[in-house]
Amino acid sequence: MQTKVAFSAKRLLLTLLLCSCSVILLQSFDLSPRAGFLFHLICIAVGLAVSFLFFIPSVVIRVRTGFDFPTLVHRESPRLSPFIAVFYGAYFVYTAVFFLLPYTDMFCKKYFPETSPCFVAALLLISCVYAAAKGTNVITRFGIFLFVFALIANVLMMGGSVSSLSFGSGVVLNGTADELFRGALYFVTPAFIAVIFGFLSGFTKNFRLRQVVLTLILTGVKYAAIMFFVCFALGAYAYRQEYQTFVLSRVAHFGIYSGIESVYLALTTMSVFLIVSLFLCCVGKSVGQSGVLKHIICFAAVIFTLHTCAVYLRPVSELLTDTAVMVGFTFIAAVVVPCAYLIFGRVRLDKKAVGA
Amino acid sequence: MITVCIIYPFPLNIQEKCSYSNIGDFMNDSLKELLSELKQTFADSADLTVRELSLRSDTGLEAAVVTMEGMCDKEQLGQTVLTPLLSFDFGRDSGEEAADAVLHSVLASSDIIEFSDEQQLISFITSGFAALVIDGCARGFAIGVQGFAFRSVSEPESEVVQRGSREGFTEPLRVNMSMLRRRIKSPDLVFEQMTVGSDSQTQLMLCYLQNKASPALLDTLRKRLSECDLETVLASGYLSDYLEDPGTSRLFSGVGISERPDTVCGKLTEGRIAVIVDGTPAVITIPHLFVEEFQGVDDYSNRTYYAAFIRVLKYIAFFASVFLPGLYTALAQFHPEYFPTWILIQTSEALSKTPLPVTLEVLMMTFVYEVMKEAGLRIPKSLGHAVSIVGALVIGESAVNAGIISASTLMVVATAAICSYVTSALYPPIMTLRFVFIIAGGLLGLWGIVLVTAVVIISMCAKTSLGVPYMSSLAPFSLRSMRDVFIRAGWKRLSDRTINVRNFPETEVR
Repeated sequence: MQTKVAFSAKRLLLTLLLCSCSVILLQSFDLSPRAGFLFHLICIAVGLAVSFLFFIPSVVIRVRTGFDFPTLVHRESPRLSPFIAVFYGAYFVYTAVFFLLPYTDMFCKKYFPETSPCFVAALLLISCVYAAAKGTNVITRFGIFLFVFALIANVLMMGGSVSSLSFGSGVVLNGTADELFRGALYFVTPAFIAVIFGFLSGFTKNFRLRQVVLTLILTGVKYAAIMFFVCFALGAYAYRQEYQTFVLSRVAHFGIYSGIESVYLALTTMSVFLIVSLFLCCVGKSVGQSGVLKHIICFAAVIFTLHTCAVYLRPVSELLTDTAVMVGFTFIAAVVVPCAYLIFGRVRLDKKAVGA
Repeated sequence: MITVCIIYPFPLNIQEKCSYSNIGDFMNDSLKELLSELKQTFADSADLTVRELSLRSDTGLEAAVVTMEGMCDKEQLGQTVLTPLLSFDFGRDSGEEAADAVLHSVLASSDIIEFSDEQQLISFITSGFAALVIDGCARGFAIGVQGFAFRSVSEPESEVVQRGSREGFTEPLRVNMSMLRRRIKSPDLVFEQMTVGSDSQTQLMLCYLQNKASPALLDTLRKRLSECDLETVLASGYLSDYLEDPGTSRLFSGVGISERPDTVCGKLTEGRIAVIVDGTPAVITIPHLFVEEFQGVDDYSNRTYYAAFIRVLKYIAFFASVFLPGLYTALAQFHPEYFPTWILIQTSEALSKTPLPVTLEVLMMTFVYEVMKEAGLRIPKSLGHAVSIVGALVIGESAVNAGIISASTLMVVATAAICSYVTSALYPPIMTLRFVFIIAGGLLGLWGIVLVTAVVIISMCAKTSLGVPYMSSLAPFSLRSMRDVFIRAGWKRLSDRTINVRNFPETEVR
């Protein structure tokens, strides 16, 4: 039930900010423990600068035509659109599993060892189908509540860890070029939000380029804050853990209350819920407006199947959670295809010509 | 309950046509045929009163005054209708001439309406008018002599205020209209009459400020009310389902209910529309938003800091009433390590002595509480103390002493129950969600609660009320409206605001 009312582009980007921040909640940092905090800052800056480049094709299409990418494809080359829909369908399925797998893994390892990851994924996907059926506008409204909750959760997690800070390590600029590449690659992961933006920006109004820049800067600030606390509060211990942010939440204490990891659990659950719902919305958008719910359910079933395969087959799991593969796939989806379309499709990027 | 008798000062404007069987156009009928048809239509109902009169005239004029028993003020009927009619000499007047004389010279009432068919006649007499028909005349007269017993104007029990008006709506439509008119004397205040219910022919009024309410919203509302195909409408609640936006969740209500005229007037000034249904003191206001549930009349009379405190208190109470039993269940069952040590020891000790799992214990206690609440509402007041004693001593203290339930469970359920009355209008969704969260927390722990919360928020964000997002002010966020959401800004700041529901962001119908 997508409402026909356009909503503010700020809200979409706020939602995407939450999505990009969830990367650091779910993934272990692929960085060297001997590299200092400043080195991590450079990695974050490089990674997010590259992410900004991923945004450019979608932004160009949005600003110059007023359409989102799928709408442009449907209008300009209907014969190509099925192939593009298949490609992006595969991309969204892959990315959804990329986030779902570490989430269910973390959930079952840290909280409920006796629960099957497939059960967790199934329940989560059912909820996401419901949300996706309500439409992008509604999901971004949900994003406002999640933003407030994320603020409180981060203050609790970081504030509660202040007592554990140890300033004896970290403010050094160690690190090799290889580590810089790996670090930057990790921080390019949030570039997947550029693809979501490219697909859903058609529902929005009052878009400005500075909103994208601000989103990426805030993502960087969030990453830097978490890296700061991880570097100083936990140091090398944190790097050996699978989910460093989770460890950060465990060391948080407020007097006799130390259950901050429940807040972390809630935050990651809501974030994954948000991301997967948005992916399902994008799938609905890519395959067209008719029978959206049917398509959403089909793709949710595909995501569940792939997730189940990954749970039981290690090679599949390794492939699906590989950051390099994810970044490469995102590069094709966010940059190569839109650019190829723009250049070789000879699309007239003139608002009047297309919109008339 | 005090009963009084009043005379309505307002003429009814019967526009809608009724659809009764056996009804003809009485212009062509003689008086006897008309009365016969009327009695047949009402199946000789005991409350149909026909007073046949032989008027003083040379031509032997016959007339009849038709009323419904108990709907008219007999004293006024005698003084303004019967006595003047019987004492006036009509001379050699024909039926039509006599009708003119009646209209201009005989009747002492200020409220006389002409009608010309039997359907209108029925509408008038069932509304408390006295209908005068004269043999040989194609017209009839409805004379405003209404007067029947009804509950007096009193303070509504469900919306008690500390500072402010003590008046509440009552059952008769016209009295409720007058309460609004007394507060808003502007000619922009419009009452628009409609009739719903094919059998009950219930009158209702759409009430709005024509300079504030959106015409598109009004059209939508009229259309939805005209689609109401109920045979009987006895209360405003019957119409709620018809006024809700199609395809949206029914968990939270998209229509507001108030029994206070000052509350309704406040909502009218923000561009909302009120629906006053005859026979019920609960007036519908629409569009209705989530944040309105936390606003009270007292907020606008109290100091701003105190009003802000009360608002925040209400939000906290709402969250506690919904989440507390579910969270307790989830923590006790799946995450006892989150309890501080001393609470953990006491809770574990108490729970280990009870036979039931904590989820069942909380569910059972919540259910018992709901039963007691319902019983307390329905039984005579004199027995209310007995129920309180049974609830407090037998089910509470004795059950804890007997080891059937733990003291901590009892405390959690009781706290949630008390919190739910802070926002009493939200009680139905609170009660439903409380059960859902207990089950989710009991089956899936904190994760279940988080997941259900996400779904509920999505459902609330998707809901609209006449096209206005139900969660307006929060999501879509409106900084301007924040002056009257979690806090209540001072009147100097509120007075220059131009809050109007049609201006809320992402409103579909403007």
